[in-house]
Amino acid sequence: MDANSLLPPADASVSVQHLDFSYGSSLALKNIELEIPAHKVTAFIGPSGCGKSTLLRCINRMNDEIPGATITRGGIHIDGVDIYQPSIDVVKLRREVGMVFQKSNPFPRSIYENVAYGLRLRGVRNKASLDAAVEEALVASALWDEVKDRLTESALGLSGGQQQRLCIARTIAVKPKVILMDEPCSALDPIATAKVENLIWDLKNDYTIIIVTHNMQQASRVSDNTAFFYMGELIEYSDTAQIFRNPSVRKTEEYISGRFG
Amino acid sequence: MGIVGTSAVLIFLSDRQSHPTKHLAEMPHEDPHPPEPVHRFQKQGFSYENAIKFFFASNAGLTIVILALIIIFLLKEGLGFFPGYQRELEVYRIAGLEFVDISRKNLTAHEQITSVLNRTYYAEINGKCAHQMRRSQEASALFNAYSDLTAPTRDLIVSNSQPDSSPSPEMIASLRTNFEKQKSKALATLPPTPHLTPEERQALIESIRSRAFDATDDPPLVASLTTEFAEAREKQVKPLEALRTTIDTFESAGSELSSLVSELTESVTATKEKIQDADILEKDRKTLLAAASSAEDPIEREKLVSEAQASLAQKPDIEGPIRILMERRPACIAAHQSLKNAAATVSSQLPNTLTQPEASRLLKVAHNLWPLFLADLEKTPQKITDWNHLKPVALSTAISSFITGKDWVTGGEWQDFYGILPLAAGSLMISIVALTLAIPSGIGAAIYVNQFASKREQSLIKPVIEFIQAIPSVVLGFIGILIFGTILRDLSLMDSLSWIPGFPIEERLNIFTAGCLLALMSIPTIFSLAEDAINNVPSAYAEAAEALGASRVQTTFRVIIPAAFSGILAAVLLGFGRVIGETMVVLLVAGNRIKIPDFTSGLGTFFQPCHTLTGIIAQELGEVPLGSVHYRALFIVGILLFAVVLIINATAHRFVNRMKQ
Repeated sequence: MDANSLLPPADASVSVQHLDFSYGSSLALKNIELEIPAHKVTAFIGPSGCGKSTLLRCINRMNDEIPGATITRGGIHIDGVDIYQPSIDVVKLRREVGMVFQKSNPFPRSIYENVAYGLRLRGVRNKASLDAAVEEALVASALWDEVKDRLTESALGLSGGQQQRLCIARTIAVKPKVILMDEPCSALDPIATAKVENLIWDLKNDYTIIIVTHNMQQASRVSDNTAFFYMGELIEYSDTAQIFRNPSVRKTEEYISGRFG
Repeated sequence: MGIVGTSAVLIFLSDRQSHPTKHLAEMPHEDPHPPEPVHRFQKQGFSYENAIKFFFASNAGLTIVILALIIIFLLKEGLGFFPGYQRELEVYRIAGLEFVDISRKNLTAHEQITSVLNRTYYAEINGKCAHQMRRSQEASALFNAYSDLTAPTRDLIVSNSQPDSSPSPEMIASLRTNFEKQKSKALATLPPTPHLTPEERQALIESIRSRAFDATDDPPLVASLTTEFAEAREKQVKPLEALRTTIDTFESAGSELSSLVSELTESVTATKEKIQDADILEKDRKTLLAAASSAEDPIEREKLVSEAQASLAQKPDIEGPIRILMERRPACIAAHQSLKNAAATVSSQLPNTLTQPEASRLLKVAHNLWPLFLADLEKTPQKITDWNHLKPVALSTAISSFITGKDWVTGGEWQDFYGILPLAAGSLMISIVALTLAIPSGIGAAIYVNQFASKREQSLIKPVIEFIQAIPSVVLGFIGILIFGTILRDLSLMDSLSWIPGFPIEERLNIFTAGCLLALMSIPTIFSLAEDAINNVPSAYAEAAEALGASRVQTTFRVIIPAAFSGILAAVLLGFGRVIGETMVVLLVAGNRIKIPDFTSGLGTFFQPCHTLTGIIAQELGEVPLGSVHYRALFIVGILLFAVVLIINATAHRFVNRMKQ
């Protein structure tokens, strides 16, 4: 393991500056201006197609592969570094900005191998340090007690909620600074959702977390700050308690109270 | 449509009729067969949809029926082979051919060892004067190239200027100009001579240019180099005299056995012919009797029966010739004894190594053959004494001699053998070459196209590779013979490549050429299926790996390829199926020598010609008499191929299913 990963994750704030993003000719994000503080949970809410997932995927440049998708103006800075400048190594960036997807996607391998995967990619071969890191990540993602006796079994045998927590464990095993979550609970039942939400709450001490969700209650339960998007624009962004109790924009209130979306 | 329409009308009518009946509810029923109650949702008759379904079901069913028919036909024609072959082997034994073959086998082994020893001897001599040999060969090659090109024009002058013909001076003059033109053309295109000094080459060319057109002697340099080479050889012969004598002693040690074998061969062949004639007559008689029993007209039946009795053959005399054969037993044993003694002495006289690597290798081959040869000779007297012409041949013997038989000999004067091994070995060797080349390139191309290529590259590479599949295999075979085979042989003649095992190759058409072409033919199969398999890996895996900070190469080789592994394996297997089943290319390019490749030449084995399971069917099926043992043998080969391909496909199918899970 390199020396870097032994240190506690440093603070990482994300700053989105005047961002315009388009898929081909259609503008998906318009002039987004957003400061996401470190060690907080920030929720992105909004109706389908409002651009919240697009923005999330811009933060670790997962949109790079999509043909025609480009940033037309502005940029994103993480800890003051512009992540879209040409000298950025996308692979290194993604090692610091992990991502959990809507649909749990463990590799068709053992539970252990799934968690150790990111470390193996970085060239960690030492069995002892791999074991320690796997245990630490599984404990942190509240999965250790459930799987510690069957680490060598296939990850595909786990339940949906367990698979999603395994994906979180896989992400935090490599100790990123920022974790992006794209509707992580949308495919889970209420009990599994509650477990993942508790996990998110616990993880914010060590990581900066950004979560996209369709579920208002979830946003109000887990997040410190909430950003509301509509038609590719950032309508309102403030403290979660503030936005749910007393939204300052009419559109936000209509959405939160369920009048559209 | 018609049926549906009518039923709609019926429903409509019955609906209207229900009204009057309500009014006449009190009336007694007069209709003895009341129509069955028809509700609106009832299924009626044979609908249009059913007809379409039936049409497609029958198409699918047809293919299954045809496959079943193919299997039944193959088995029906093929399974008669084993009893027929059993009878042939029985005749082989009864007539005493088998007895002669005991001795003949040793004689063949003796000849083989002699040939290896002779090759060793010449490899040593030629290796030692390789320099002189090459110089002489190059000079002659240059002169021959010139003569070949100018010979036609030169001959015209010579034949026209004979004393008895009266040539017109103008004609001779024009012929001479023609010759001069051809001469300068020939001198401009001479082959390279890397082992001659530039001065020597220049002198040689000058001597050719200035020589009289009717000169018959070689140019001075060619002649002097030939003498130089002969002298060099002469010098090398001296120290090797002992080896030469040893080889000669060994060679002549086989002459006693050889003359004995040819003497016996004559008598047993005659016996065999008699038995076969009797077999044919017997078969005719049975056919006639069968016809008689089914004939209805009594006169006709009478005639057939008498004909059958007339063709009743005399049982051929077997015991007489066999007795003569058995009287020669002691002579046979004595001949073997003397051969064995000679072989044992010669073996100890042979040197262990020689100076030239090729000669040493051949010598080692000879040394390795020796123990087997001596052991065979040791067992032979016992075999000769034990042999009994009345020992029955079991059906299982016929089966096992088909499966493990090392000879496929047909249409010969001696005895037909149907052993599958030479053909199976040929097919297998070609497949090994083809797959060794096709697997890396097919899978590599699939990985590149699916994972790394740009859209433009994809749209170029995919159609091109898939187009290869559209080339008719006969065209590919044609290219293989004329271009690939020739280029390969010319390449193998180059000195700088002589380190490659098997170079220079003797045969233009061989396992390697056929394997290369089959590789080309199986690349599209492997490529397309492997690309599909890679494409079927869920994109979520790639996304997850990338989000974890895997580079493109890491994602491809650590996530996608392992996930697609079963599918890729299936692609390779189906490629193998294609190679094993391909006929045209191997028939044209493999060289068609029915013999188990000589594995003593190491990797050079791949440059020997061979024959294949598919090729033998294509080549021989058109010429065999219908229903003969040979004909049925080809069907059995067909069944074998069918089974192999079936197993390959079934295994591939299982791999594909495993991937889907």
